[in-house]
Amino acid sequence: MSDARALAGVRVVELASTLTSYCGKLFADLGAEVVLVEPPEGSPERREGPFIDDRPDPEGSLTFAYFNCGKKSVTLDVGHAAGADSARRLIGGADLFLEGTPPGTLAASGLDYASLKRLNPRLVYTSITAFGQDGSYARFAYSDLTLLALGGLLYLGGYTDSPPLRVYGNQALQSASLFGAVASVSALYAAAARGVGQHVDVSAQECVALALENSVQMYELEGTVRRRFGGEQRQAGTGVFPTQDGYVCLMAAGIASNRFWRNTVQWLCAEGVPGAQALNDPEWSDLDYLNTAEAKRRFGEIFLPYSRSKTSAYLYETGQRHRLPICPVCSPAELLANRQLNARGYFVQALHAATGRQLTLPGAPYRLSVTPWALQGGPPRLGEHNGEILSRLGGAPRATANAQGGA
Amino acid sequence: MSAERQPPVLEGVRIADFSWIGAGSYATKLLADLGAEVIKIESSVYPDLLRTSRPFKDGVPGVNRSGYFADRNASKRSITINMKSERGRELAKALIVKSDVVCNNFAPGVMDRWGVGYETVSALKPDLIFISMSMQGATGPEKDYIGYGMTMTALAGLQHLTGLPERLPVGTGTNYPDHIPNPCHAAFAIVAALIHRRRTGRGQFIDLAQTEPTVAMLGPAVLDYSVNGRNQTRTGNAHPVFAPHGVYPCAGEDRWIAICVENDAQWQALVEALGGAPSLSEARWRTADGRRREREALDKLIAGHARSHEAGDLMKRLQARGVPAGAVLDAPGVLRDEQLVHRGHWRRLDHPEMGVTTYNRQPFQLSASEVGPTRRAPLLGEHTEEICTTLLGLSPAEVRELKEAGVLV
Repeated sequence: MSDARALAGVRVVELASTLTSYCGKLFADLGAEVVLVEPPEGSPERREGPFIDDRPDPEGSLTFAYFNCGKKSVTLDVGHAAGADSARRLIGGADLFLEGTPPGTLAASGLDYASLKRLNPRLVYTSITAFGQDGSYARFAYSDLTLLALGGLLYLGGYTDSPPLRVYGNQALQSASLFGAVASVSALYAAAARGVGQHVDVSAQECVALALENSVQMYELEGTVRRRFGGEQRQAGTGVFPTQDGYVCLMAAGIASNRFWRNTVQWLCAEGVPGAQALNDPEWSDLDYLNTAEAKRRFGEIFLPYSRSKTSAYLYETGQRHRLPICPVCSPAELLANRQLNARGYFVQALHAATGRQLTLPGAPYRLSVTPWALQGGPPRLGEHNGEILSRLGGAPRATANAQGGA
Repeated sequence: MSAERQPPVLEGVRIADFSWIGAGSYATKLLADLGAEVIKIESSVYPDLLRTSRPFKDGVPGVNRSGYFADRNASKRSITINMKSERGRELAKALIVKSDVVCNNFAPGVMDRWGVGYETVSALKPDLIFISMSMQGATGPEKDYIGYGMTMTALAGLQHLTGLPERLPVGTGTNYPDHIPNPCHAAFAIVAALIHRRRTGRGQFIDLAQTEPTVAMLGPAVLDYSVNGRNQTRTGNAHPVFAPHGVYPCAGEDRWIAICVENDAQWQALVEALGGAPSLSEARWRTADGRRREREALDKLIAGHARSHEAGDLMKRLQARGVPAGAVLDAPGVLRDEQLVHRGHWRRLDHPEMGVTTYNRQPFQLSASEVGPTRRAPLLGEHTEEICTTLLGLSPAEVRELKEAGVLV
């Protein structure tokens, strides 16, 4: 067994879904074998854009490509007896099963936890669902947007004068995958030693609630309901400010203190910003004053003419030289050109077999010195590994495998 | 679920936790709630900034009164060590040697300056897992640049992609990377390294640059640029395919509902739930293309109808017809949401200074093992004597002396 990969030898079966895909990816990228079980028409993620060259082809989804690199694709129709049987035997030999179907759905196929536990007591069976396995919302229809709403994060996003606005990028679904991954890998750690697995029940709504920062406690302890504040300074000097070529994000005071205020003033004075001296006046060392409309207005009057006259890169460099939490607001193009990310070799390449193209995508989210993160390959074609995986199932009648879409 | 109980899944793992404020503290909190023994090493000389952050119980400040701190640090024990003292650094090193994992989220170099950097402590304990979660990583030209969760959302691309196209970028309105992307990635890497250690006997160093997991949450946008050359920007609540897909005002002050219609059957169900108004029944709305083409007009129309409904009632009417819909909940809303309450998401724990207050449970349940928090947040230095006498071989008298000498403070 390879010592070079942290999760070498860990066998994962993932029933393809948007709730499980990032979870499966985390396992694959640290060396686990992840078999992606797709229905004959392919994972729902294959129908999500953006697409390569904007052609809506199930082999061309960049969303699928990102979340499924290095997994092995097997097509099985688990709604039919033969497909369910193959899936059962596959999971019978696995350490971890990931699924994101509405609660109760898999019992008819014999792929529920109670059935699989009898087959494989060591199995960790992880259900990542919108609302968890029980309760009155358990079978609610959902989307990323409605989960952000019911988890409470949506309410905090947006402008004071706009409806709540959604954060980019299916963050509710990805959060559920992330917490699902932590719970699963921890349950595997125990199962390997104890020889007994268990059922992990993840609720995406609850995952979103973990992102509410201090807002529940603000209400409970101080009676304050936190609201959205986008487009305005959160306190004087803290927020997003326009520059000559974009925006910067600045926290002139810092967090929960004003430890950086002096640096901000020194920076602005060194830059010869008119009126910056006034920011040395004693009232600015009072956190309560920074929260007033007057303080925000005065700071804006001094800072905005300056920020608008400089590039984001200039403000980033000079502000950081004065030890300030300031940075540019980066677009995807700017991320790909970011010198720090590039110096660290952050972006990686993956071969997209269906088109022969090399894709450039985000790489290691963590660097493990002995067992580095690495993609095991590009995104699989639909059913690409049917032969390899299904032939492994001892006693599998070939005809059955083929009938379920064997390549 | 199974009645065969097991101990917590990470029982037996000990973590020396130097993390403070944001992402680090939530990473170790996750592991603590899964059963790891997490020892928070802090100091009254320079307390964790969250201890002095709002909200405070009854609005009265105090290092043991912050609800923000409590929610992130429940299930841990607290020892105070003054890392500015030589003896304090020795004791911290002794604690590390008795631990399986070390976690910190300081700027690069801080742990080294204290004499507890990876090179030093791994020489004493080679199978140690040591994670550093600095803002931009341990290497590279901007490694020493500073920032917080909010600036990170900007630097890592999330701000730019969130908000209305013609207005300032807004992001989530929170320090999002601190709460989910970074703690979860860190916790996953730590447990994966523990699995590897059990197999091989080897420890390792984990360098987590907090910007990097955050960018990893934006994969499709990065690919859209690197492959198609399209530099995406913010689009409000609009979806590239589905319409309607948005947030609509409901009865009351600042009350909203999120609705997504993903196919024509759901559209018909929505029209029915809103009372079958003629303006919604027009032929132009019956196809996905038609709805997408005039999405702004459609949004206005739906907003006009939603306004007369209470958000929770409308959600149930829509859900009864299979339409994805969710009331937009604020803090009081999530606290009383019937599903979160049913799931036992809110856990109430009794604290000597704060009394009974609300904590998040982890957003998952295990069929055979307990998931925390089960232990309230620690008082500053509450377990100093307990940890010193049980793990570091000090006598109560020695602990007292070291407190008086300004070491265990």
